[in-house]
Amino acid sequence: MALISNLLALRRDPRILKLPPYLSALCIIVGVVWLLVLPLNEYSRNTYISENALLPGQVHTYFGGSEHNIFRAYRHEVAGLVGKPIEERSQRLGEIFKSSNLKVATQKYEYHASSRNVSGQNVYAVLQGPRADATEAIVLIAAWTNMDGEINHSGVALVLTLARYFKRWSLWSKDIIFLLAGDSTAGPQAWVDAYHDSHSPAAIDPLSIKSGALQGAVAIDYPAGPWGHRFDKLHVVYDGVNGQLPNLDLFNTAVSIASGQMGIGCTLQRMFQHDDSYQARLQTMLRGMISQGLGHASGPHSSFIPYHVDAITLQTVGDGWHDEMSLGRTLESLFRSLNNLLEHFHQSFFFYLLMQANRFVSIGTYLPSAMLLAVNFTITAIALWVASGRSDVPVANPASTSRSPAPKSEKAAGESEMTVLKTGSSIALIPTISLTITERHLFLPLTFIALTHFLALLPLYIFNNAPESLLDIAFNTTAVLTSILPTLAAYVLSIYHRPTQQEATLIQCFSLLLLGMFLSALATLNFSLSFLIGIFAAPLTFIRHIPLPTSPTSSILSKNRKPVSAVISLLLVAINPVIVIRAATLYWGKDIVEVLVQAAEGWHIFGLWTQVVVWLVWWPAWFAGGVVVARGMFS
Amino acid sequence: MAIDQQKALLFGAAAAVRLLLFTAFPSLPNLLTGRVEISTPVTSFKRLQEGVFLYTHNVSPYDGGLYHQAPLLLPLFSLLPNPAYHPFATNVLYTIVDLLGANALMQIAETGQTVSSRLFTSPRKDLRWSSLAIGASFLFNPFTIATCIARPTSALTNLFVLIAMAKASQGASITFILALSFASYLSMHPILLFPPLLLLCYNMRVTKARTPPNPWAYTLSHVGGLALALVALLYTSALLTGSWEFLAATYGVRLLLPDLTPNVGLWWYFFTEMFDSFREFFLGVFWLHAASYVPGLTIRLRKQPLFVAITLTGIFAVFQPYPSIADATLYLSLVPLLRHLFPLMRYTFLASSAILYTSFLGPAFYYLWIYAGSGNANFFYAITLVWSLGLSIIIGDSLFAALRDELDVERPELRGKEVRRI
Repeated sequence: MALISNLLALRRDPRILKLPPYLSALCIIVGVVWLLVLPLNEYSRNTYISENALLPGQVHTYFGGSEHNIFRAYRHEVAGLVGKPIEERSQRLGEIFKSSNLKVATQKYEYHASSRNVSGQNVYAVLQGPRADATEAIVLIAAWTNMDGEINHSGVALVLTLARYFKRWSLWSKDIIFLLAGDSTAGPQAWVDAYHDSHSPAAIDPLSIKSGALQGAVAIDYPAGPWGHRFDKLHVVYDGVNGQLPNLDLFNTAVSIASGQMGIGCTLQRMFQHDDSYQARLQTMLRGMISQGLGHASGPHSSFIPYHVDAITLQTVGDGWHDEMSLGRTLESLFRSLNNLLEHFHQSFFFYLLMQANRFVSIGTYLPSAMLLAVNFTITAIALWVASGRSDVPVANPASTSRSPAPKSEKAAGESEMTVLKTGSSIALIPTISLTITERHLFLPLTFIALTHFLALLPLYIFNNAPESLLDIAFNTTAVLTSILPTLAAYVLSIYHRPTQQEATLIQCFSLLLLGMFLSALATLNFSLSFLIGIFAAPLTFIRHIPLPTSPTSSILSKNRKPVSAVISLLLVAINPVIVIRAATLYWGKDIVEVLVQAAEGWHIFGLWTQVVVWLVWWPAWFAGGVVVARGMFS
Repeated sequence: MAIDQQKALLFGAAAAVRLLLFTAFPSLPNLLTGRVEISTPVTSFKRLQEGVFLYTHNVSPYDGGLYHQAPLLLPLFSLLPNPAYHPFATNVLYTIVDLLGANALMQIAETGQTVSSRLFTSPRKDLRWSSLAIGASFLFNPFTIATCIARPTSALTNLFVLIAMAKASQGASITFILALSFASYLSMHPILLFPPLLLLCYNMRVTKARTPPNPWAYTLSHVGGLALALVALLYTSALLTGSWEFLAATYGVRLLLPDLTPNVGLWWYFFTEMFDSFREFFLGVFWLHAASYVPGLTIRLRKQPLFVAITLTGIFAVFQPYPSIADATLYLSLVPLLRHLFPLMRYTFLASSAILYTSFLGPAFYYLWIYAGSGNANFFYAITLVWSLGLSIIIGDSLFAALRDELDVERPELRGKEVRRI
């Protein structure tokens, strides 16, 4: 208790009030530097297998020989189905499965998003493990088209071949489901939703045959045409929807089998040339963070991860000397490892940043950087809360060396009002003003913050439901409107002489408090998104409402408050979330409409939350900051 | 007249918000009903539906081992149409419960018993919010709205506790006794509010009546009345269900904590970790701790009995075996009555930030634990600890403020000086 009393006494110290901006800046700098040192050898670790049961690469693989002829035959079958109606395609693929003595079923699905229809049909077959009791299953997926829209000829053929090959083994102690999804995003989502009975029955068929709890899923993306193509490396894709990641053990098993047993190099995050330098590691990590932050589906595996089914996609890249049989053997070995699992993946990390196929940092090491960014907003919010409880009237600095002009008589009376404080034997004269605590008027700030968040529901609704043809106009209109809205709102409020200095401080205080709170909660769910938003919102910590000049000695900022406020308002437009998104799409050369359509599809199909965070966390914070600054333009 | 219009407007707006949420988001009630933060094993609406189903099919509702709520709720809810198909009647019922609660809260505010009672008048007695503002802070509190949408039976307990407080602060003995017996019948722990509220009721009677009643006779008659009302309620329940087994299934569960479903309280984690041989001992310790606040606070702050009752609701929100945000919302809606103590409180920002942070981090960590599978029980328990810390800071801080307030009256020369708790 004594300690708290001392700390309470400390808050009267005027030096404390000067500290928070520096403390916030320190938090931001340390947070960013923290992230930048992660790729160094001292801060990252080599990956390792935690789950001993997996035993990756400990088995002989027998996929080869005559299987190669079967694969080639299936590949031509698949090529023959290109361009055929979906029904016929499904029927033919089902027949191939049936000829291997597997149970087959199909599933139709249809989604609507941004006035686009996404529909298709999934075909899947269940291999009942000879030693299994139908309580557990693992999934092998090949989507008919991959994420780039190419037809996955060899991937589908390889799944058909492996289904035939696996059926002859007697050692499976889990059921194996072979899923040929209609496409790479909606198809697997419809299937996994229906598998867990959480699909909307109007648009998606239920599954007629099922197996046990899914333990893992591996997707193949091998779009080589009917005459084959030898690849150089495997590109392992692991991002799930909303930034959730599969257990690191699954990733490690795939990498260690591919590179250790089969001699196929592994890459990630499209870093096809990785020279293990600091720069390459950092770039891999940042690409991973952006992909995680966007939270979009990055492959057929993404839909599985929200159901706590660990899943990855293996994608073939480059020109090299590995053929379909080495990929087949990799999958065989990988499925033998998954077959060994005694319990659901749980040993290794669920939160990690990868910077190379065999190097990672875990949550304990990287989380502080996002938390520091979030804490910086909270520190400023607390400082603003304390500042709002102080009187607006500035206290003349008695030790000031600059000579102020002779004060007018009535003012002199106000300034000389002193209070005598006695502590023990020491006596101090303190200006009464610096001791008074003013009542805080909370109504306007709280209403303002609540209304801002409600206002943000409007663009969220529009972008999720507008038809594709209107998205371009809607986006540009929103960009212009949101950019001028803070100035407009400040002008309207200034007609009613609101907000006062204290209310402006409180608006900023609450908005930063909420931002810090949302970001720290978000950092535990999706670290990357929290970090990225934290970086872009960081300037909001340092803007302030510029007060009216109250005395001739006021700072130069107060005297030029209108031009200064206008300049800061203009600068703030640059970090308007809408403008930032526009700039990002220009930088990466993406089409904004395509991005928005994907976001709307994500919302309706995958349950993507990124736009909710942008509109309900980031934008209101920016808007509140903009209004507080723009208030200075109107006196 | 103006007040009545404003009140009608406030109640209309609050009812509109609730009914709008019920109808505009039809999946919201079921979503919130499933949240462990709102529904506990002893208050859950889902379990109530299970009980009603068994009851209407002539099976003892306590046979399944799922239903732990009072038997008299069953005929009430079996009269309503099945909420799975026709939820409107239930929605209206819970909206009315909230409005009646707000009405009782406003009655408490109008008596002004928190700022000046028979034995004590605060020097800051002019510093208070209007009853309308207090009613609004209850009706538009997001926690209250979430509770109303999730429809746990603790909403009914809250209503009866508020009515009991209102009637006690008006000195209406019979309705006070009846309301408190209903609250205790539904949730058991409100019976601990009896001593301070009795004191409050007695104070009001003394100020109103010409000849003050004999305190012993007054106490005896009220204790007798409460016992009579409770026995009547329990006997009706026994008649209704045909046996006394409901006692073990309702109050037994609250006392002995067999169901360790996570909630926002402090008990469940502790008792999952405990060796069975220590279980009885720690059950005794935990209950003794929760109950020991009643005599202590009532004796020390006997001049401000309503403040004691308010603080006790806060203590129940932290220390009872199955707390939910419904209990916290009762306390948080009573705190605005203590407006005169706010200038003396020192950690309001800290406490409200803690509560704000935990109300977002709690669901996030629960999601990580249960759905994503990437966290574990410690994540959620850590947040419930912080949540309880936030509430206990408010309780402790308001207690400090109340004592300081009394000190300012008793020792005027110490006003404005720093004090130290020893």
